[in-house]
Amino acid sequence: MSGATGTMAASPASGADTARRLESAVARLLTIGTRIAVSLVLIGVVLMLAAGVHPLTATFGAFSLAAIPGDLVALRPEGFLWTGLLVVMAMPVGRVVVSGFGFFGAGDRRLALVSLLVVLVLTVSVIAAQGLGG
Amino acid sequence: MIAGIVLLAGGAAAGVFGSLLGLGGGILIVPLLTLVFGLPLREAVAVSLVSVIVTSSASAGVYLQRHTANLRLGMVLELFTASGALVGGLVAFLLSDRVLAGLFAALLAWVAVSMLRAGAKSKAAAAQAAVGPSASAQSPSSETVGPAEPAPGSFTATLGGDGYSVRKLPLGMVGSVFAGLVSAILGVGGGIVKVPVMNLVMGVPLKVATATSNMMIGITATSSAVIYLLRGQIDPYVAGPTALGVFAGAMIGSRIAARIDVRLLRWLFVIVLIFNAFQMGTKALAQ
Repeated sequence: MSGATGTMAASPASGADTARRLESAVARLLTIGTRIAVSLVLIGVVLMLAAGVHPLTATFGAFSLAAIPGDLVALRPEGFLWTGLLVVMAMPVGRVVVSGFGFFGAGDRRLALVSLLVVLVLTVSVIAAQGLGG
Repeated sequence: MIAGIVLLAGGAAAGVFGSLLGLGGGILIVPLLTLVFGLPLREAVAVSLVSVIVTSSASAGVYLQRHTANLRLGMVLELFTASGALVGGLVAFLLSDRVLAGLFAALLAWVAVSMLRAGAKSKAAAAQAAVGPSASAQSPSSETVGPAEPAPGSFTATLGGDGYSVRKLPLGMVGSVFAGLVSAILGVGGGIVKVPVMNLVMGVPLKVATATSNMMIGITATSSAVIYLLRGQIDPYVAGPTALGVFAGAMIGSRIAARIDVRLLRWLFVIVLIFNAFQMGTKALAQ
């Protein structure tokens, strides 16, 4: 993106390199994250099918972060499904955080601030959901 | 066991269709889960949001690797889509299933009409190309019409890319808030709003607008998905197979896209959308 070059560094060429490096780093994060998330969900689905769980009628417990390690150790499908789904939701957040640090490192304070604000909006989402009765 | 496999297959079908037609799977997943599998609408929206995050992250990785998506513009606009999604995620719990079904019916009808118009435009463009280049030169495309370039050194000027400048950023921000609202309430990616706003209003080339919108879906959908998660609306037994199916379907779709006649598919899809809109509309009126 040539537009990125002007703000990311003094020299246009090095600015373009920085922008491309950042995009490549974020791309790697998303690719690896997707593979991990899909693998975890796949294990969860296989365990679910093997256990004969009927997905449309089975009752599921409320989401509990504390219960996940125990479910994983016991090879319960919900442990892998919840972990996979959490990785799914963590990927975009990770992208924003990595981008924010990248922008900050490149001296682009405005975009770094924008990244921070996006994370703040997500934090407000979590607080609002918990505040409204979880 | 069969229900799990059917969910996987249904998700895969939504993923293939969505990928071939350039749509996220959400527009198909929500009707599939509510009308076929009988899931409550709000639960279907939550499952759909998780599914669109998976496909968005997978395709955003590819787009960023190829440097097609505009990371800087995406970051700025997703602040507004995320804010819209935060509000939408909270508003969704205040709306009755009847209202949600009515809104979804309206969205389906809108997408069907948009697809018909897009089909008619591409037909007209093909006819114009057959007449000759001089004819097409007389009617400039939307990308060449617009206000002056942003002032050099302004924040907006730093958001452009190779061969294009970003215009009307404030309008883009407003459109993004609306896209976030739609995404959170109806469980879709919001590309149906973001892509036209970026392309027609902000002057971003269609290919870049599509890639950037796709990248933004992840954060938009996550903003509201966490609300659905913490309020107990995400069923992992349904979300798991559906998201897996949509992911696999989207991968298959991207590989077979070049060999498929999209015109026929578009017509088939429009019929499916109209049928679903009718069903959703009936649900809204009947409950």
